[in-house]
Amino acid sequence: MSVQNTLKGFRVTFRHLLKRPETIGYPEKKTPVFPRFRGRHRLWSFDNGLEKCVGCSLCVAACPADCIRVVAEENTPDNRVSAGERYARIYEINMSRCIFCGYCEIACPFDAITLEHEYELSEYDRGALVYTKDMLLAEHPKKVPLREDGSAASG
Amino acid sequence: MPDYAPVDLTGTDLVEFELNGRTVKAPAGTMLVDACAANGVEVPIFCYEPRLGDPLGACRQCLVSVEGIPGLTTACSTPVAAEMMVDTVSEEVREAQDGILELLLENHPLDCPVCDKGGECPLQDRTFRFGPGESRMVEPKRHFPKPLKLSPQIALDRERCISCYRCVRFSQDVSEDGNLTMSERGGRSEITTFTGDSYNGRFTGNVIDLCPVGALTSIPYRFTSRPWDIQNTPSVCASCSVGCNTELTLREGEIKRVQGRDEPNWQVEEGWLCNVGRWGYGADQAPQRLRQPILRDGGETRECSLEEAVAAAGLVLAHEAHTTVLLGGDVTVEEAFIAKELAAGPLPDAQVGSAGVVGAALGPLRALPAAQLGDIDGADLVVVVGGDPANQHPVAELRLRKARRAGARIVLVGPRAQELESLGESIRTAPGNLAEGLTSAVAQIATVKRPLVVWDELDLDAEPDAAVVLATALGDNAAASQLELTSEVNGAGLRALGVAPHSRLVDQDLGGVLAVRANPGAGPGGDAWNRALDSGGPIVVIASHHSELTERATVVIPCSSHFEHEGVLVTAGQRAQRLRPGAAGPEQSAPGWEILIALSHRLGVALEYRSPRSAFAAATASAPALSGLDYDTLGDLGAEIATSPASDVNGAGAPRAHDGEGLPLVTGRSVFGGPEAHLSEGLVVTATGEEAVLHPAEAARLNVADANLITLNSPNGECTVRLRLDPGAPEGAVFAVRGVPGGTVESLLAPDRAPVNVTVNTA
Repeated sequence: MSVQNTLKGFRVTFRHLLKRPETIGYPEKKTPVFPRFRGRHRLWSFDNGLEKCVGCSLCVAACPADCIRVVAEENTPDNRVSAGERYARIYEINMSRCIFCGYCEIACPFDAITLEHEYELSEYDRGALVYTKDMLLAEHPKKVPLREDGSAASG
Repeated sequence: MPDYAPVDLTGTDLVEFELNGRTVKAPAGTMLVDACAANGVEVPIFCYEPRLGDPLGACRQCLVSVEGIPGLTTACSTPVAAEMMVDTVSEEVREAQDGILELLLENHPLDCPVCDKGGECPLQDRTFRFGPGESRMVEPKRHFPKPLKLSPQIALDRERCISCYRCVRFSQDVSEDGNLTMSERGGRSEITTFTGDSYNGRFTGNVIDLCPVGALTSIPYRFTSRPWDIQNTPSVCASCSVGCNTELTLREGEIKRVQGRDEPNWQVEEGWLCNVGRWGYGADQAPQRLRQPILRDGGETRECSLEEAVAAAGLVLAHEAHTTVLLGGDVTVEEAFIAKELAAGPLPDAQVGSAGVVGAALGPLRALPAAQLGDIDGADLVVVVGGDPANQHPVAELRLRKARRAGARIVLVGPRAQELESLGESIRTAPGNLAEGLTSAVAQIATVKRPLVVWDELDLDAEPDAAVVLATALGDNAAASQLELTSEVNGAGLRALGVAPHSRLVDQDLGGVLAVRANPGAGPGGDAWNRALDSGGPIVVIASHHSELTERATVVIPCSSHFEHEGVLVTAGQRAQRLRPGAAGPEQSAPGWEILIALSHRLGVALEYRSPRSAFAAATASAPALSGLDYDTLGDLGAEIATSPASDVNGAGAPRAHDGEGLPLVTGRSVFGGPEAHLSEGLVVTATGEEAVLHPAEAARLNVADANLITLNSPNGECTVRLRLDPGAPEGAVFAVRGVPGGTVESLLAPDRAPVNVTVNTA
């Protein structure tokens, strides 16, 4: 009786031995995220190099975590940074505070900030989690693949 | 800015009228917008502004229907009458208001994200509450190059202007400079000056507060913060003794803006500010600001920590046989009180004196009923004795102009030519003849119902006999009142605390010196003070900015400016008002009261005040004039202190004698050339300088030429200054502007401000 029962139990185990594993070999392999996944922020520029952000601080007003700091300044003919009258001299996001709600993206009247798909943001130093404007304007070094529409949850 | 005028619903002259179907009350003659607001119904407005005089009806936003008036009528220009039937919410009214808003927005750019007004914009707010929700306009909007510099401090964005005429009305009807106007018509309308020049004046900044859109914005504030980034703190301006109520805008530890309050103090400034009050905050960030305590030991100068500096100050003062405490004219009541307590106990054998206490013989005049600036509105005769309100107490000028518009007669009596002379009768008096010159004014005071005398402390201090004449005349008219324009912002507060003038100390051995916001070497009798300081002991300076005194002091302790600490100032009209801290100030600085308390600990007799509030409570207990006041009763708007009882009139029978040879010297100060104006980045372009003014005939007699440097010599000192010839200046006197940083005019004066004669030579 007992041998039979033991074999019965192992049947499940052996069946799964023959299947492909459900887990993914992170970090060598990464789970693709959904298109509307909200990850690391990105600031955008126009093709001519001017920043889309005009430093209006609406993202600051919308942010429930109070993690954005914007200090604006006026564009001058010698130093034209954005397309509007003003530009963000300082644009900082404190990633350790951010809750990735995406309100900044919704508030932005110029589509200057979006939440991208990168989620590998851990650092050894808290200070490094305050992202400056230059960091946000550049692409995140660690790309995460985007899930294609209709594909399965695991890949 | 106050949208609607305050309405008193408790009076006796109320009429009943029907508002949206319910019966309400308002005083007869109140404008409908105000009556509606007082009864809880908001009628949208843009051009209406209760302080700009008669309503204009330019924006048409306040259309309401009144039964019996065909069509719709503007609520801002329709007075309430009994049994009026008003509807502000009917379909017809809503459609009209929506239509007007749609038209106003036709050319208004949607650049709210880059506009400084965005977030605190009446146009945004009212579009949100009243507007149609969407526009049918598909045509392109008008475009102008932007921004233009309307003045060095004001940016003009013509695209955003909705032609409400508020700024034009301010310029024409309030400051009466008549500079601004609307040129072109229709969609091409634009605000400009008549001449096309920069809009310069003493009060130009108010148009920024008035503008209901972002067409006029402040250049120093431009793009520095958004309304949700800032904290606003109500405070008081300490640039002159008017004591205008201000609102400080703080962002990230720094003052970014000063503006008039939304709920103005109708007794003081009505929400107006002069340009120095508005942009003078820049002086806090100037390079001259003290940011680090300094110790001078022998020939060695080094920076140190705050604790070390206070310890050193205690050490050097405790070793002196006797000490002198010098208070500036702008120390707060708390600082002065704690300094007095220090002198009474911990400091060895100390005497206290302040430059802010002037006019010992003016007691009888001060004992008469004190008026507030707001009381000028109800007066039928305003006599301005001495002074130069336009330059020395700027916002008082606006109140005088308003009184004139309301029908009051203005009489100006004084020794100098001034810009307000066109307001009414002007009587120029030769120095020493003020009492004589008052004859006509005194006769008028006796015949009118509500006379008010606005008098300048320093000019009457020089001629106390005129004060006696005035006091007698005012005493005879029970409805008469007087308003003292003190020379220093807290002069009245120092007097209430019983602080003595510092001039009596100059001839004595000073011993160790503790100077709190004081710089006697740059004031009257500067040379005598410098000699006294040279022969005295070590100097400890508590100051917010570098000065001649901080350059020679043994210990320099940086203290907060008036934007950074808490305290009480007693300003014109004996009004005690609270300063509140907006910014934190440099890291190595502390509020003056705190430094003085720390010093008392170092001196071994600790004063037990833990906050300005408790120091003020102790001060009110010790000074009868301040009794009954505390921080809560002062609140946001301040309160009058008790009038001091009349003191002896001895020695007030004649003007004080002029010392020296040559022509009598008449000095005046200009707020617009004072330290704030010169240190603040936004104001320095318009700051005025030191100058001497002579009548051309007098200059010809003295053989000096226009625009040349001249040397003035008095028994007290010498000064070299540029000469300006002005046919408007009276003959027989030399006029000079003092109070300019680095200027030397004040060294001509005696330490007690006794009048002097000067000789004039080409330098």
